[in-house]
Amino acid sequence: MAYQWRSALRADAIMRELRGVAIALLMVAATTVVAWGLIRYLDVRRGSPIYLIPVLLAGWHLGRIPALAAAVAGVLWSGYFFYSPFYTYFVARPAEMINLTLFMIVALVTSHLANSMKQQAELARKRENQMSDLYAFSRQLAAAPTAADIYRAIEEHLASLVQRRVLLFGAGRNPATETEAPQPVQAAIASIQRGAALTATVNDEAGATWLIRRVSSRTPDFGVLAIDLGSMPAVDEIRRRVDDALADAAATLERLDVARALNEAKMRSETELLREALIGSVSHELRTPLAAIMGAATVLRGSPAVAQDERLHSLAGVVRDEAERLNNDIQNLLDATRISRHQIKPQAEWIEPADIVNSALERRRRRLAEHKVALDMDSNLPFIYVDPVLVQQAFVQIVDNAAKYSPGGSTIDISAKRNSHEVVLSVHDHGAGLTADEMAQLGERFFRGHRLAATTSGSGLGLWIAKAFVGANGGRLQATSEGADQGTTVSIFLPYNADAKQPEAAPDD
Amino acid sequence: MTEQQPPVVLVVDDEVQIRRFLRAGLELDGFVVQDAETGADALKSVTLQQPDLVILDLGLPDMDGGDVLERLRSWSTVPLIVLSVRSNEAEKVRLLESGADDYVVKPFGMAELLARAHAAMRRQVRAATGEPVVRAGPLTIDLAARVVTLNGSRVTLTPKEYRLLQLLAQHAGNVVTHQYLLKEVWGSPHMHDTHYLRIFVRKLRQKIEQDPTQPQILLTELGVGYRLANPDGTTRTVAN
Repeated sequence: MAYQWRSALRADAIMRELRGVAIALLMVAATTVVAWGLIRYLDVRRGSPIYLIPVLLAGWHLGRIPALAAAVAGVLWSGYFFYSPFYTYFVARPAEMINLTLFMIVALVTSHLANSMKQQAELARKRENQMSDLYAFSRQLAAAPTAADIYRAIEEHLASLVQRRVLLFGAGRNPATETEAPQPVQAAIASIQRGAALTATVNDEAGATWLIRRVSSRTPDFGVLAIDLGSMPAVDEIRRRVDDALADAAATLERLDVARALNEAKMRSETELLREALIGSVSHELRTPLAAIMGAATVLRGSPAVAQDERLHSLAGVVRDEAERLNNDIQNLLDATRISRHQIKPQAEWIEPADIVNSALERRRRRLAEHKVALDMDSNLPFIYVDPVLVQQAFVQIVDNAAKYSPGGSTIDISAKRNSHEVVLSVHDHGAGLTADEMAQLGERFFRGHRLAATTSGSGLGLWIAKAFVGANGGRLQATSEGADQGTTVSIFLPYNADAKQPEAAPDD
Repeated sequence: MTEQQPPVVLVVDDEVQIRRFLRAGLELDGFVVQDAETGADALKSVTLQQPDLVILDLGLPDMDGGDVLERLRSWSTVPLIVLSVRSNEAEKVRLLESGADDYVVKPFGMAELLARAHAAMRRQVRAATGEPVVRAGPLTIDLAARVVTLNGSRVTLTPKEYRLLQLLAQHAGNVVTHQYLLKEVWGSPHMHDTHYLRIFVRKLRQKIEQDPTQPQILLTELGVGYRLANPDGTTRTVAN
C-alpha cells in the first residue's frame, strides 16, 4: 500500500513538473510575440534580456526545471531574433556567441536565485505560521486555569499540528482511552509509563508511525502522549515541533503545580481505600471482643448469684444492651462502607411483607421494650419481590429512630398496608417530630437534627443507610411530620405489580 | 435429657475469652464442657470423646470452619451449632446444607445459643428413641399418626402442607433452609421456587396461627428458611 502511495506521489510530481515546463514555454512564447513586435515596429536589436522575464517568473513560481526550460528556450529565441544571422537559430559571430552564453548563465543564475528566494520566503511564512500557532497555544496555556484545560489545549494543538489522532494517557485521565491505541502503541506507552524510556517511535499494524513521549521529560506524573503521524515523512521535523509545544505546556503544568494536585488526588483515593479497609478490619476485630462482652453479660445475668440481685441483674443488662448497640453501630459503619463502594447487591426473592416487619421487630425486641408497639398489618398483602434482608435492615433503622426519638412509654404504631401499586411499611412515633428544615435534610449522610444532637447519640447514618437499601430494591423512603414534637412517620414503599406478576400458585396434590 | 450422665459439649473456638464465657454459660446449664482451639483438635476430640453437642466457631486458625464441618459430617451426626461472624445469608445456607443443625451470629446471648443447642439435641434424641410427638406452643404434631392438633382440635391439612409441617417438626426449634424444604416437598427441580413456600406458609399460618400476620409457631428466618418455634413451648421470644 505504501509503495503504491509513493509511486502515485512520484507520478504526481512528474506531472507537476511537466505542467510547469509547459507554462514556462508558453511564457517564452508570449515573450517571443512581444520580442517580434519590438523588432518589427521599433527595430530594437539589443532586446535579448527580455527573455530573462519568463526565466525569472518560471524560477519564482514554477521551480527549477521549468526555469531551466525557459532559459534554454529563451536562448534559442534570442539567437533567432537578436543575433545575426537574424531569423535563424544559428549564431555566427563569436562575440555574439559569448554574449548568448553570458545570457544563458545570467538566466540560469537568475532562475536559481528566484527559486531560492521563493523557497526562503515560503519557509519564512511557514515559520511565521508555526510561531503564531505556538504563540496562540502559549496564550491558550497561559489562560488555562486547570490541568484539564491544559491537557485539552495540548491535544487540540498537536492534533491540528499532525492532522491525525493524538491520545493522552495518565495524568488522572480515564484509562479507558488506552484501548483506542493499537497494540504495539499500547505496549510502548506502558514502557514509557514505567519509566523505561522518555520517548519512542513505533509502527502500528496499518503502517502508521506513532510518536510516543512523556508530556514532561522531568515529571512523569504529567502523563504520556501518543501521536499518530501516519506516513508523514518528516518525523524529525514533527518531533521538534512537538518538543517545542510540550516544553511550553510542561512549564505551564509545573507553574500550576499540577503535579502536586495530581499526586494529592492519587493520595486521596488511596486514603479513601485505606480508610475503608481500616473500617472493615477494625469492625471485624471489634466484633470478637464484643461477642465475648455480650456473651459474658448474658451468662452473668443468667447466673443465680446475679439473677437474685436486682441491681446486678440490671447492670449486666446494661452491659449486654450497650454491647449490642455498639455492634449495631459497627454494622452501620460496615453498611455505609458497602454503600459507598457500591457493594449492595440485592438478592431478590418473593417474600411475605409481614415477615419483614416481624423479623425487624424481633431483632429490636429489647430496644422496644419500653415502648408500646401497636401493630396493624393487612393479612392479605401481595407478596413482594425484594431482598428481604436488606429491607428488614432498612426497617430496623426506622424502628431504631422511632425508639430513639420518642419517649419511653409512648406508642409506636407499625403498619403494613397497600396502595394501588405499592406495599407500604410504616413506623409512626409520638416523639420529637421534624421541623421543615430537618425534613429537607433528613436522609443525608451524617445528618443529625441539632435540637436533639446533644441529648441523643447517633451517627446520622441510619436513615441514609435505610434509604440506600430501600432504593436498591426499587422502593422509596418517605418521612413526614406535622412539625417539632408532633411525632414522625417514616414509610417504606415497595412496588408490586397490581395486575400480574404475583408468583404462580404452587402445586398441591 | 433422657441420659443420667450430664451431656458433654465440645466448644471449638480459638478465642480464649469466648471459650471462657461459653464454658461458664454451658456449665451453668448443666453441660460438661471440653474445648478445642483448632480444627484438627476438634476432629480428634469428636472421635475420642464423642460429645453430645459441638459448638463450632467458623474462624479457626488452622482450617476453615466450613471444612471442619464437612469432614466431621462425613462420619458423625453429633448435633452441631455454628458460631458465625458473617451475617451473610448465603453463607448460613451453605453451612446448614453442609450439616450444621443451626447457627448463631456473633455477638449473641447465651439463651439464644442454648435454645438452638437444646433443639438440635432433642432432634437427635427423638431420632434415637422414636418419640413421635412434637409440640410447638398450642400445636401438636404426631409424626407417627400423621395428626396435627391445635389446642386439642384436629387441623385439616393437604398432603403437601402436612409434609412441610412434618419437615419443620423433625427439626423443631432449628432453622430449615428453603432449599431443603423445596427439595423434600416439591422435588429438586423446584429448589429455587421460594414463592411456593411463601404461598404454602401463608395458608398454613392461616390454619395454625392465632394471628397469621404475627406468627408465633411457624417463624421466618429471612433469606435462610423457616423455623418451628421451640418445642418446649417457648415462643420465638428467647428470654435472657
